Amino acid sequence: MNRRETNLLQTLTHSGPAFYTWIAFLGAVISWGIFAYILQLRFGLIETGMGDQISWGLYITNFVFFIGISHAGTLISAILRVTDAGWRRPITRMAEGITVVALCIGSAMVVVDMGRPERLFNVLRYGRIQSPILWDVLGVTTYLTGCVLYFYLPLIPDLGILASDRGLPAARRKLYSVLSLGWTGTPTEWKLLEKAISVMAVFIIPLAISVHTVVSWIFAMTLRPGWDSSIFGPYFVVGAIYSGAAAVILAMCIFRRVFHLEDYLAPVHFRNLGWLLLSFSGLYLYFNINEYLTISYKFQEGEKRLLTQLFEGPFSTYFWAGQVTCILIPFVLLVAVLAVKRCEPFLIPVLGLASFLVILGAWIKRFVIVVPTLASPFLPAQRLPEKWMHYSPSWVEWSITAAAFAAFLLLYTVLAKLFPVVSLWETREAEPADVEHGTEAVGAFGPRNWGPVATAVLLCVLGGGLARGETAAKNKKMEPLPVTISATWKALPPEAPLPQPATGTYSARHTFLFSKPLPGFSTGRAKADEVAPEMRPVEIEAQARDARGEPLAFQAIGFSLKGALGTLDFGSRPSDGEGKVKLVIRDRRYGRYPVTVSFEGDESHQPGRATVLVDFGPRPAPALPVAGVLISPYFSPEIGLPFLFFYGVMWCAFAYSFGYLVLWRMRRERAHRRPL
Amino acid sequence: MSSTRRGFVQSLMRGSAWAAGSWLGVRSLVSALNNRELPERALAPTNQKWVMVNDLAKCDGCRDCTKACTKMHFVPPQQEWIKVYEITGNSAAGSYFLPRTCMHCDNPPCVRACPVGATYKRTDGIVLMDQDRCIGCRNCIAQCPYSARSFNWGEPPHTPEELAHKYDVETNYPHRKGVVEKCIFCPHLLRAGKLPACAAACKMGAIYFGDELEDAVTNSKGETMQLSKIAENGAGFRLMEDLGTEPRVYYLPPVNRKYASPEEKRRHDAGLA
Repeated sequence: MNRRETNLLQTLTHSGPAFYTWIAFLGAVISWGIFAYILQLRFGLIETGMGDQISWGLYITNFVFFIGISHAGTLISAILRVTDAGWRRPITRMAEGITVVALCIGSAMVVVDMGRPERLFNVLRYGRIQSPILWDVLGVTTYLTGCVLYFYLPLIPDLGILASDRGLPAARRKLYSVLSLGWTGTPTEWKLLEKAISVMAVFIIPLAISVHTVVSWIFAMTLRPGWDSSIFGPYFVVGAIYSGAAAVILAMCIFRRVFHLEDYLAPVHFRNLGWLLLSFSGLYLYFNINEYLTISYKFQEGEKRLLTQLFEGPFSTYFWAGQVTCILIPFVLLVAVLAVKRCEPFLIPVLGLASFLVILGAWIKRFVIVVPTLASPFLPAQRLPEKWMHYSPSWVEWSITAAAFAAFLLLYTVLAKLFPVVSLWETREAEPADVEHGTEAVGAFGPRNWGPVATAVLLCVLGGGLARGETAAKNKKMEPLPVTISATWKALPPEAPLPQPATGTYSARHTFLFSKPLPGFSTGRAKADEVAPEMRPVEIEAQARDARGEPLAFQAIGFSLKGALGTLDFGSRPSDGEGKVKLVIRDRRYGRYPVTVSFEGDESHQPGRATVLVDFGPRPAPALPVAGVLISPYFSPEIGLPFLFFYGVMWCAFAYSFGYLVLWRMRRERAHRRPL
Repeated sequence: MSSTRRGFVQSLMRGSAWAAGSWLGVRSLVSALNNRELPERALAPTNQKWVMVNDLAKCDGCRDCTKACTKMHFVPPQQEWIKVYEITGNSAAGSYFLPRTCMHCDNPPCVRACPVGATYKRTDGIVLMDQDRCIGCRNCIAQCPYSARSFNWGEPPHTPEELAHKYDVETNYPHRKGVVEKCIFCPHLLRAGKLPACAAACKMGAIYFGDELEDAVTNSKGETMQLSKIAENGAGFRLMEDLGTEPRVYYLPPVNRKYASPEEKRRHDAGLA
């Protein structure tokens, strides 16, 4: 064990008063946050600044932010591992640690935002794969599992080393020895571990991209201006990697200073990551221009309201502050420190500052993505309480946010105290001299020996009616005679549909991707509703006579239909010379209804009426509307299968690399002492 | 497997056989899962398809509908399940009042995106809200383009009359904390063969309600008109047709109205008339 490793291991055991002060401070902030959350649990989300208008606020901002930060790690370290960039070795552990911790905090923020956190498990009990929330649950759980494994696997050899380090307290050594799964360091074990890590590195890249994409889809799957955007997936992914890279650099700066890791973290690491950060700031700038230019050029109604708020309205301060701190200043700082020779001595502090600004700006940017869109709905905000019109977070929200950040730092500190922040075995392989030369380009993919691994990317009753005569038995006066009306009805043959205006040849049903079941699949959705029963024109014929049997000629006979809630009046028709009257109804109506044929009466006749039950054809069977895209109460295979397939592949990869290679094979090989 | 051309072709064939086999397996599994009747709660008591028609030419913005709704459903304060908007597209074109209920869309974004099926479509076209299941994630509020949904941020104030009732998905009261609420077309009144509270309360008779399959809608004055004859008096429209939500609420244009316009009303209220 050389001097720099001794120094590194000291960070695990030696804690000064500054460390305990730091822990106490974080503990205090977290306790305050827990107090605020208890209040929120007791009284509900009324404790927050949110309202029916702006119903998502700081919590969702934090969720998006932390999921973004989580891309730090794994994506960067996985890409660098796949590309076999030698200089990655001292920084992968720090990056992976950020990922694990950020994911835990990010997913907790969603629970904090819930109105009914005690019903969290309804998501598992009644989960609908058609909902973007489920995609997130699936994605984040898979990602968290993957990241914990990806943090753990490269840690195993170090745990083996630490378990045998007599300089450590016995309890610690016991912990390390249990966690090391009996690692002895035989070539077979190394071979299996390398393979497991490589498999994880390959699968974690599409997984990480998918996770931030589904996070963006919570927003992009809505109809709201500003969210209804097709570039949201990649826009979020780039933003996430950008903030994640900044988080890694900041962590490196801090650890280098606090733990005195100058031997491990050389300027070359900072310079390489600086270039990565610079290229992502350029890429993020491009995505911002693309997003805002395309909507501000057209200035449509809803987007007009949003952009006015963003560019010069109540959110302009946040918007411009976000753009300046997240992109502009870091960009200038990075160019200066990386390209101008004179600035080189300030590389590390300036990079640290730029990274801090990127992280701060990224948080503001997430706020600007979440809140202003909710503040500019389609229908104007009217008759709402004043406090719902503008969002200002309450102290409860700020406290919980502060606690989230403190919890992030605390967990990260604990990780750094439990496990060495720099991988021991990986930095042993690479000599410091090798590190100095490691200036290879960051994005270049190089083939590796372990062979290509395919990366799966998803990506009515005919017949006579009952004629019923009704006699008005009112013989008060002699003159008005009672009137008898008899009515019958018959169904006319269905007519050819009227020519409709040409609307093109497409059928909406076949155009939408998700409005038609996948070929060969049947869903629980409407089947009966698919074909609307044909319209049945109906002819009602009535014969009106007075008590002497004389026909009521040339009189107005009224028709009306009794429906569920009201009576539909068809008006009246004149009877002919024989007292007959006909009414043809061509309506969009199904079912059986009593139709009343009535005569209002005149000087010589009493009023009379008859009711006939007319059948307009059978009602369509009850079903859910065909237009309902993805509203099925059951699993929709057209959208569910791709998601399950994608994340299923990920779980298979985890099972293979950790379950099979590390747990099963390694143990067996060790037991039989057989060469591979 | 030998690294010959035959070996390669054989492995390809074996691979496709596997792919076809697993596809059939997945297909039969999914069909077995889905080839079920609709769940009980999605089946409406009657085979009707409810539809609402708002005649904007008759709406004078009195908000009697809102008051009746709030009273009947014990709607918590600050919520308006039917909200009367004053719509001003541009000032030169003038403004009008527009009552907005839940649109009970046939392609409802809220139902689509609800993670737990707390909001769901019934066969009579009503989009219901199950307060026993809602987790309060407010994704439906983000999804609804009509701002028709509200959330109980705190424990809603209760009245003894409200608490005297047992919770029912068809009434949605007593109200609860931390769940999303909205207009539900008064299914318990429809069961009794009555008009929804708002339609019954409208003195102007602007709100018509009825069964689409019956082709007839009725207002508070007992006037019944034919849904399919809407076009005869100037075509009707639905709100934000372009969003593809297929609302079940129709509007008749505010033409030839017989009451003060929103501007005139404001001028009158300000004492300038």
